[in-house]
Amino acid sequence: MFNSHEILSTIEMVKNEHLDVRAVTLGINLFDCVSHDLEVFKKKIRAKIIKNASELVTVCDAVGEKYGISVVNKRISISPIGLVAAPFSAPEMVEIAHTLNDIAREVNIDFMGGFTALVEKGIASGDRALIDALPQALAETQRLCASVNVATTRSGINMDAVLDISRAIKKAALLTADEDGLACAKLCVFANIPQDMPFMAGAYLGVGVSDAVINVGVSGPGVVKKAIERALEKNPKLRLGQIAEIIKNTACKVTRVGELIGREVAQTLNIKFGVVDLSLAPTPTVGDSIGEIFQALGLTSIGVPGSTAALAMLNDAVKKGGAFASSHVGGLSGAFIPVSEDLNIAEAADKGYLSIEKLEAMTCVCSVGLDMVPVPGDISEETLAGIIADEMAIGMINNKTTATRLIPVPGKKAGDKVYFGGLLGEARIMDVPHATNKDCFVRYGGRIPAPIHSMKN
Amino acid sequence: MDKLIITVLGKDKPGIVASVAKSLYQMDCNIQNVNQMILQNEFAGFFVIDHPPELDMEKITSRLTKDLEGKKLQVYIDELASPANGLSNGYEIDSGSEETFLITTIGPDQKGLVAKFTEIIAEFNVNITNLKAVFKGGDEPSANIMNYQVAILPDTDQAGLFKRLRAKAAELGLDISIQHKNIFETINKI
Repeated sequence: MFNSHEILSTIEMVKNEHLDVRAVTLGINLFDCVSHDLEVFKKKIRAKIIKNASELVTVCDAVGEKYGISVVNKRISISPIGLVAAPFSAPEMVEIAHTLNDIAREVNIDFMGGFTALVEKGIASGDRALIDALPQALAETQRLCASVNVATTRSGINMDAVLDISRAIKKAALLTADEDGLACAKLCVFANIPQDMPFMAGAYLGVGVSDAVINVGVSGPGVVKKAIERALEKNPKLRLGQIAEIIKNTACKVTRVGELIGREVAQTLNIKFGVVDLSLAPTPTVGDSIGEIFQALGLTSIGVPGSTAALAMLNDAVKKGGAFASSHVGGLSGAFIPVSEDLNIAEAADKGYLSIEKLEAMTCVCSVGLDMVPVPGDISEETLAGIIADEMAIGMINNKTTATRLIPVPGKKAGDKVYFGGLLGEARIMDVPHATNKDCFVRYGGRIPAPIHSMKN
Repeated sequence: MDKLIITVLGKDKPGIVASVAKSLYQMDCNIQNVNQMILQNEFAGFFVIDHPPELDMEKITSRLTKDLEGKKLQVYIDELASPANGLSNGYEIDSGSEETFLITTIGPDQKGLVAKFTEIIAEFNVNITNLKAVFKGGDEPSANIMNYQVAILPDTDQAGLFKRLRAKAAELGLDISIQHKNIFETINKI
């Protein structure tokens, strides 16, 4: 028996505040597919993925229909290809990328993540082949996502890998110059990459997991924004502690929705349930924006002084709400601030409220990093590597995940507009000040040692 | 022992439940279950009771009517149908396998709204377990809301029912949501 308020507020969350399940991601362990023979390997991964994923989309749609909650994206994450395809060369890695892309199309999912190398402490032969294959693999496929973990708090930052990946990003951009460097939107560089994240482009399935697992990514920036607005309308004198409580309670509800849907999908598919990743992930739709939450909190725009504090409060409240709702919260579980994917954030950058430096500062307190940031196409590998290294250092020192998804847009300069389309959105290219191309720091290579607080044993 | 269901109707005021309960207590009756609602200032109360064997339905009715005299209340007493007996239309109550859905329509008020939807629900032999209608009149869509809680059995043509309901809502210019009750529990019952 539900009262009118409970019925209406639930319907309101779904219909007008964009509450949805952003991604149901089926993780598939490919370690039992390992072979030195490329054809055998491709055959095995095809068989295993299709066996586990053939019903994924149908089941997600049916469960979404039952609860009236849309499962927007159905995706697959796989074991790191750098490990399971370690015997193969770069051209063979490209072939594997095509096979994965074909399988993704066959099972009707929009993205498959796991074209991944874990190189924080060194680059093994499989990882080297994968990094070398990245530009071509990403340029020639549509549904494959890649990630490279170059740093951890326990291992430090592999600066050789940072420079290598910067080179790969530049090449990938050039190969997709006619699409504003779109290939780079499918590549994340990480510090402390989570093994169970359902969100793309960084999703992959870590080691030490079962054959298949369902991880769910729930979003809900619109729901959080409306909850804040409603509360402030009722009582304009609310204090920040009380507002944080409202965010926490809302995050708790949203997490429970994700777990409900995820568990039912998992049960129907007879696959283990993994985690709910409660991340406030925006879309380019009005009302589904992280940037708008900053305005609800009384700031002119994301990026103005006070933004980092507001984001810290938001991110923490979201985590606390998620932790209260479920014992199986994982992935990133925080707030994303992807520039082009959030209409409001893109506008803030456009109007000059948000610079790359401010974005970097904000990533110290939120769950990702410099995400979907278009930069000038003529940026040097060294400058790109410097930006990535800075972001990785934030993750390493603060014992948290950070990432970059930078897009050097060929032939375009700061202030020019780029269009990626769909959920990837559009934005104006951000200026990267003080890029002199004379700095040789990143060229020293080697590994920045792990911080002292990593020694916990 | 057979149970009785007592229905009490009348203008709402303080003390109705107390008067009924006192009278039943004095007759040594045991209230097993009770529910009440107030609809636009009208009280409706339902009491399921056990009664001593020597007291039949007639005696209880007579005593209760006497005790409530002057309070302008109407009292109806009947034997409580056992769930095992099913409903008169052949619909078997099966609380184990049914799935509860909430159907909510939002949109301009119009005559025959409830009739049009309940007719479809009945055609599929689906039982309505709760119905809330909040008609405030006028054309403000969010002010006119109907919510039907229905129990759907495994052999019900669920897809067919939902399709018909959605088509009817579209025809009447209403916004319709059909959702399993667990989503409301998940969001609201923490």
